[in-house]
Amino acid sequence: MLGEVVVGLAIGSAYSLLAVAVVLIYSSTRVLSLAIGEVGAFSLYGALWAHTHGIAGWRPSVLVAGLLAVLGGGALGLLVERVVMRRLVGRPALDGLVATLAVALFLALLELAMYGIDPFAAPSPVGHGNVDVLGSTLTAPQLALLALAGGVALGLWLFLTRTRFGLATRATTSDPTVARLLGVKVNRVYVFAWGVGGLLAGAAAALLAPVQGSLTPFSLTTALLSALAGAVIGGLDSLGGAILGSLAVGVVTGVVGSRVDPTTSAGVVFLAVLATLLVRPQGFFGSARATA
Amino acid sequence: MRRPEATRLVAGGALLLLVLVAPAFLSLPQTSIVTTALCIGIVALGLDVLVGATGQLSIAHAAFYGVGCFTALGLGTHGVPWPLAFAGAAVMTAAVAVVVGLPSLRIRGLQVAIASLAFQLFAQQVPNKWDGIKFVGETFERPGWLEDETSFYYLAVGCVLLVLAVLARLRRTWPGRSLVAVRDVEARAAAFGVSTGRTKLLAYGISGAIAGLGGALFALQQTSVSDTQPFILRESLILVAIVVVGGARSPVGILAAALLTKALPGLLGTDFDVPGLGPASQVVPAMLAGLLLLAVVMQPQGIGGVLRDLERAASGRRERPVPRPQPTDAVVAAARARALRDVPRPLVQRLPTPSLLVARAVSVRYGGVIALQDLDLEVRRSEIVGLIGANGAGKSTFFNAVSGLAPTTGTIRYRGTDLLGLPASGRSARGVARTFQDMGLVRGDTVRENVLLAQTWLASYPAVGGLLALGGALGTERELRRRADQALELFGLQHLADERLGDLPYGTMRIAEIASAVASGPDLLLLDEASAGLTPEEAHALGDRFRALRDELGLTLMVIEHHVPLVARTCDWCYCLESGVLIAAGTPAEVTAQPRVVESFLGRGSLEEVAT
Amino acid sequence: MTVHPLLEVRDLCSGYGGLQVLFGVSLTVGEGEVVAVMGSNGAGKTTTLRAVTGLLRVTGGSVLLDGRDVTGTPPERLVDRGVVMVPEGRGMLRDLTVSENLALGAYTVRDRAAVAEALDQAFTTFPILHERRDQKAGTLSGGQQQMLALGRALMASPRLLLVDEASLGLSPVMTERAFALVAQVNRASGVAVLLVEQNVLALDLAHRAYVLEKGQVVAEAAGAEVRTMQGELRAAYLGVTA
Repeated sequence: MLGEVVVGLAIGSAYSLLAVAVVLIYSSTRVLSLAIGEVGAFSLYGALWAHTHGIAGWRPSVLVAGLLAVLGGGALGLLVERVVMRRLVGRPALDGLVATLAVALFLALLELAMYGIDPFAAPSPVGHGNVDVLGSTLTAPQLALLALAGGVALGLWLFLTRTRFGLATRATTSDPTVARLLGVKVNRVYVFAWGVGGLLAGAAAALLAPVQGSLTPFSLTTALLSALAGAVIGGLDSLGGAILGSLAVGVVTGVVGSRVDPTTSAGVVFLAVLATLLVRPQGFFGSARATA
Repeated sequence: MRRPEATRLVAGGALLLLVLVAPAFLSLPQTSIVTTALCIGIVALGLDVLVGATGQLSIAHAAFYGVGCFTALGLGTHGVPWPLAFAGAAVMTAAVAVVVGLPSLRIRGLQVAIASLAFQLFAQQVPNKWDGIKFVGETFERPGWLEDETSFYYLAVGCVLLVLAVLARLRRTWPGRSLVAVRDVEARAAAFGVSTGRTKLLAYGISGAIAGLGGALFALQQTSVSDTQPFILRESLILVAIVVVGGARSPVGILAAALLTKALPGLLGTDFDVPGLGPASQVVPAMLAGLLLLAVVMQPQGIGGVLRDLERAASGRRERPVPRPQPTDAVVAAARARALRDVPRPLVQRLPTPSLLVARAVSVRYGGVIALQDLDLEVRRSEIVGLIGANGAGKSTFFNAVSGLAPTTGTIRYRGTDLLGLPASGRSARGVARTFQDMGLVRGDTVRENVLLAQTWLASYPAVGGLLALGGALGTERELRRRADQALELFGLQHLADERLGDLPYGTMRIAEIASAVASGPDLLLLDEASAGLTPEEAHALGDRFRALRDELGLTLMVIEHHVPLVARTCDWCYCLESGVLIAAGTPAEVTAQPRVVESFLGRGSLEEVAT
Repeated sequence: MTVHPLLEVRDLCSGYGGLQVLFGVSLTVGEGEVVAVMGSNGAGKTTTLRAVTGLLRVTGGSVLLDGRDVTGTPPERLVDRGVVMVPEGRGMLRDLTVSENLALGAYTVRDRAAVAEALDQAFTTFPILHERRDQKAGTLSGGQQQMLALGRALMASPRLLLVDEASLGLSPVMTERAFALVAQVNRASGVAVLLVEQNVLALDLAHRAYVLEKGQVVAEAAGAEVRTMQGELRAAYLGVTA
């Protein structure tokens, strides 16, 4: 069973990458980004297509395709911020949520039109090695997810507490108007949040798709929902809480999913979200202001 | 009927005509496609109750659609006649929706949408486990007269009209007014007797019931369902798109959007290709999403908003110019104040009437901040009591404590009952009404609708009775309207009853707010800075109004005021607060003469006395 | 060659959404001056500051800094030009520590040495901030927050401070201290101050003053006339003579 937990942690690591993206965007812009899953997926689709069919004669290797997915995700995130989200500054948060929902829908339907409904083969960018851990086998992508999640968490913590721009980001999170009055160019913070969010989504997509076997439209958004559940349970404005929450959701989904069935694990997650919102709505590590 | 509704009726009428004659031009399979689109339209109307009426977002309505569908199938395949199966589906879906909506009791915000997402994820997997369950694969028998696709189509149209009628009733009953109050002025709504928790759950229930009806209709149309495609996440997202593009609170727009999205691709044929882009069945939803993006970015109100803008233009209503206020000379104001002070005050002792409101040791803490500390005060019957103090002294906080909108300790007894034991929405039923410093009414509604809102505690009929236009509800509504018109006449506002509150000059809005508070039939009226923003002449008239309310209506008043001469002229007793603490009590003349009070407003002699 | 005042506001019109609040406000602030803008609730005082600092859309008129048009410039760019606002309610970043709040005040200052020096200066002027430098700003009392707000605003060595209702929510004693601090800062560093207030005591430290009513300037005073204005406002407010 411990091995199943570790596998669950690997899936949870993918969720936590997405959750970090969401929390980063939410805490600085107060917009819940439902689009970030498809942003990663769309970028991965493009990269994988280039890998299998080539563009202008160039066929990147799987690893390069993975990196392209990451970079593409960042670029697409920046594009969404520039074209859509920036026009919604000052509007109620619901408008932002609906806009990201529309972006997700648009991208997913575009994927459907461009690549068809059949599952798209998603080979692993980090090879096919295996490691036996506590009775279960961890594949290379799963290991990569674990390592990446840890690295991202550490890196973000250092960035936010030790750098000038990190301080500016925290100020924007706390009160954007006051941050502006102090000279912080909050637009840059928004751009940063979406750009990094896109990078994380691209990475999550590139590593999660091989674990799930293939890529389909809406599959990353479905994964994003688990990440969102984790973020809500942990606290929407707490990066640490969001990471822990998504890891927990990953473990529960993995263990319950393999021992009982996926439907029940989805039910457990739903009940956990419901219970959290009723008992401690701001999440276990969130601050009271997260419920505004 | 207001003029702007005419345009909406014309558009609605045109759509209705189109829908009614459509079967004449369509083949049977095509009719069937439109029927399915109407089912989705019904679900979208249900979603609109949540989004448009309460501002909550649900991304689970396709799941609710599914719940309604499978409940109806389960009942119908076991011999339950279809009208009962429909009712059962509506009730079941309402119950499920209420459970999903429970988090909205504690938070207002985006997390509620996530709860619905989690439910959607869970619900769309449930049918996977039901391979062995009986009704999948069995058929829901249609009665003979509905076997023809065209007849069934008209049943669907009938259901749509039923839903529209219920939604129309919603606007004219207390549930509808409560929904609007919770959406626009949630923190205040309890002061009007609106129970925010009950209202939100009611919204989920109604929304779920309507979605369930759509699902039941679909079940009867298909007669057996084994595919979960119509109930998955993608469809929930498309439903949100339909509501936003159609325009929240615009049934005509929403139905049009539903038909465009769901009927048009099928009508054009499955092999219809949009040149250069691909098959219609894929392109249209993508276009819809693109339109949604554009809609949210450019015109947040969607097609409905466009219609409303056309209304405004068509009715030739010019923007009423904001009247330019006349500035007053500070010296003239000082002279007037001196003159007012010379009015003899016959009462130098406190009125010996019984106590109406007694506050003892009242404290309010927000986290680490103490807004009110150990306050003792008393309001006696037929008094006009003034509450003064510098900004941030805690005056509005005291009103919030009485209204139940602030975390309070101590006791506040009103006619013997401790108010702090009652929920906030129950206090207006006891006879306490109030106004707010920044105008707590709903600007988007008419004056009369706002007065009706303030009387929510008097609307004692059950919600369902109101929606189905049962007799008792109609009678109560008539009575409430009569009281509303009486209150408006009392304040000279009857000619503005159908005007949008937000369009009126600020001073008039404040008077309307007082009228609303009076209409709810209170004994004690709490007025928060009623004179703010008024000219000295209007403030002078306000003082007369205070006395009229006391003398003619038998009300007791407590007024928060910055306009000290007004307090001096009208109040029998006066309390002064500073930084949450009571620093003076007595007649206005006594209180305003105390050095501590003067210092609180105007500071001490000069800064040189302060050692830096 | 004409000497421009540091700040000049000409016929400023602004408001929120469809509601116009300012109907042509004009005022000036010279180098090193303390200028008070008085008015009751709803007069448009805070609106004026927000319009000057670019937080609100200006629908008419202009704002000039050193004679150059800066109308509509967003606040983050005005900080580069030496204009810093202390907002209503003091604008604490509650989750950040006192030191972090101060550091953010110097966000636009590139020179590390200058930032360190400004921090030292702040701790010297406000010793209590040094004592609580690692505490979260949300835990400070009202008076301490006022000090932090002022100290933070001064970190970038501004030329003009816009102070919005410093007395809000403070007891009379704390209000006096706050005003005294502003006066002290003005004397020591020569920074000009545009002070928006309800509390008439603010006129004690003003070189010049305006009275705002319903979005328009209705009175103006300079030098000795400021005392007279103070007396008249007292009378109008309480119906008592000064």
